[in-house]
Amino acid sequence: MSYPESIDYAAIAPPVVCALGASGVLLTDLIAPRARRLLPALAAGVLLGALGALAAAAAAAPTRGTFCSTRFCSYAVDPFTIFLQALFCLAGVVIVLLSAASVEAEHVPAGEFYFLLLTSLAGMLTLAAARDLLVLLLALEVVTLPALILVGLRRTDPRAAEAALTFFLISVLATAITVYGMSLLYGVTGSVQLGGILDALRRAPHQPVAALAVVLAIAGFAFKVAAVPFHAWAPDTYQGAPVPVAAFLSVASKAAGFAGLILLLAACAPYAPSWRPVIAVLAVATMTVGNVAALRQRHVVRLLAWSSIAQAGYILVPLAVPDPAAALAYLGAYAVMNLGAFGCAVAVAGRRPRSAVADYRGLFADAPALALALAFFLTCLAGLPPGIVGLVAKVVVFRSAVDGGMSWLAVVMAVNTVIALYYYARLAASLFDTSPDQAEPGRGDATHLLPVPAPVAAAVAITAAVAVVLGFWPQALLGVVPGFG
Amino acid sequence: MRGYFGGYLLLGLLLLVGVAFVSVSFAGNRLLAPYRRTPQKRLTYESGVDPTGEGWAQSQIRYYVYAFLYVVFAVDAVFLFPWATVFAAARFGVAPLVEMALFLGILGLGLFYAWRRRVLDWT
Repeated sequence: MSYPESIDYAAIAPPVVCALGASGVLLTDLIAPRARRLLPALAAGVLLGALGALAAAAAAAPTRGTFCSTRFCSYAVDPFTIFLQALFCLAGVVIVLLSAASVEAEHVPAGEFYFLLLTSLAGMLTLAAARDLLVLLLALEVVTLPALILVGLRRTDPRAAEAALTFFLISVLATAITVYGMSLLYGVTGSVQLGGILDALRRAPHQPVAALAVVLAIAGFAFKVAAVPFHAWAPDTYQGAPVPVAAFLSVASKAAGFAGLILLLAACAPYAPSWRPVIAVLAVATMTVGNVAALRQRHVVRLLAWSSIAQAGYILVPLAVPDPAAALAYLGAYAVMNLGAFGCAVAVAGRRPRSAVADYRGLFADAPALALALAFFLTCLAGLPPGIVGLVAKVVVFRSAVDGGMSWLAVVMAVNTVIALYYYARLAASLFDTSPDQAEPGRGDATHLLPVPAPVAAAVAITAAVAVVLGFWPQALLGVVPGFG
Repeated sequence: MRGYFGGYLLLGLLLLVGVAFVSVSFAGNRLLAPYRRTPQKRLTYESGVDPTGEGWAQSQIRYYVYAFLYVVFAVDAVFLFPWATVFAAARFGVAPLVEMALFLGILGLGLFYAWRRRVLDWT
């Protein structure tokens, strides 16, 4: 290898733009504290800039790699990378919109908030392009460490500190297990590059230690996606964190975990007989535990947390087949509908921070548009019309499981969808509940009307519009999912 | 003493000799030395000074910040030394200089942050 290596700067531009932008946001806050109100716009601009850099690189050459050894590259831009990086940038913009009002209202330090958010997103952009165990691990840490601080950023709230501590301890444990698995994988194959690992495993198909290594390495990513039994942090952390941060964890951070999982499983394809049952069991446990626990929740953010655990179970189903394209398709639809649902929760939490299910009763009278949007997103998550995008995503996953000869998994998922229907429908119906004995006095008066901050309203409107369009025209999503056919 | 496990045999022997040496010398000391306990002799030894106060002491939280900043720059020095031995080699060009400047720049940003947030003020 020659030094200095010839680095393909266009390929690494999206994470670099994001990281430089993060530093820029922090510097702006330090030098000109009065410009604090401009920080959300600046952060959104950085993410759109990263998206532009991605588009430019993709337009010039659809597949490219850099940091290459003789045969494999540690960093690659291909359709998989492009799909996920675009997803992360767009989800990031929506989360910036959701945060703008609550950062100000809850006295969260703005400079730090957007700096950490952008840093975590830079880690995600790197993770999507990583084709090397070391880059993958480093990116995973860059995703996780700022997220830990984001959760605990409301320093006066003891629940936030507890949430951050829970998140930290479980994260450290999961990372330790993953590093152990990765070290075994390197020991068995003699390569850290995923391409090299795939080659070496093909040549040595029956080694118990390699199977153990794969299963251990999966554990860390199972934590990121909050799969049972690594899910226990999610409800507490989502509830203790600011609601936009909970949205960030449940969508962007979860998508990053799935990206890593897909990459790792693809590199370990020769050991599919070892890890397929593990993933299938994870999927069944995750969706069942998530849905059953969600039935009992009285707190809306906790309910959404358990629901997003269950949704992670659905995304794991095609990975057990293995059919990563179907998982990516579900992930794309899930990002839109879950961001929308959390966006509605942000809007309500701004005025009714208790966020109990009772606070949502009769929401239609106070904020009709918001209630309609939330009801729509809940039907999306349940997979019912009019939330067609959720239905399409579920059909994609069902078909993938049935075609892949795992019909039993599709049956389990169908049962789970019915269980989930109960709590989604109950919450959606309570929004329109105007029975006089339930309503508090004064409900529906001008004093109770919910003023929704403009950026939050914009975020909810955008996600709703995208969800509606994707419902009628699913090819717009399925067409860009790499390897979907 | 041959083969892979021969080394462990040697280690075991050394362990036995060590245990024997310590027990023989302490037992000998116990048997031969005279013992006359006084309250003075039973005091905690603190560099010859009479011990005062409690063993429990709290230090200023600010030391923590300084210790933290120290660690950051100590780690950065670990990277600087090997870099300093090679950065001037002609075949590398200016790339190492730029890369180290980036690295130090990020650390400098952290220090700038600490300074602007008044973490460095002692009072």
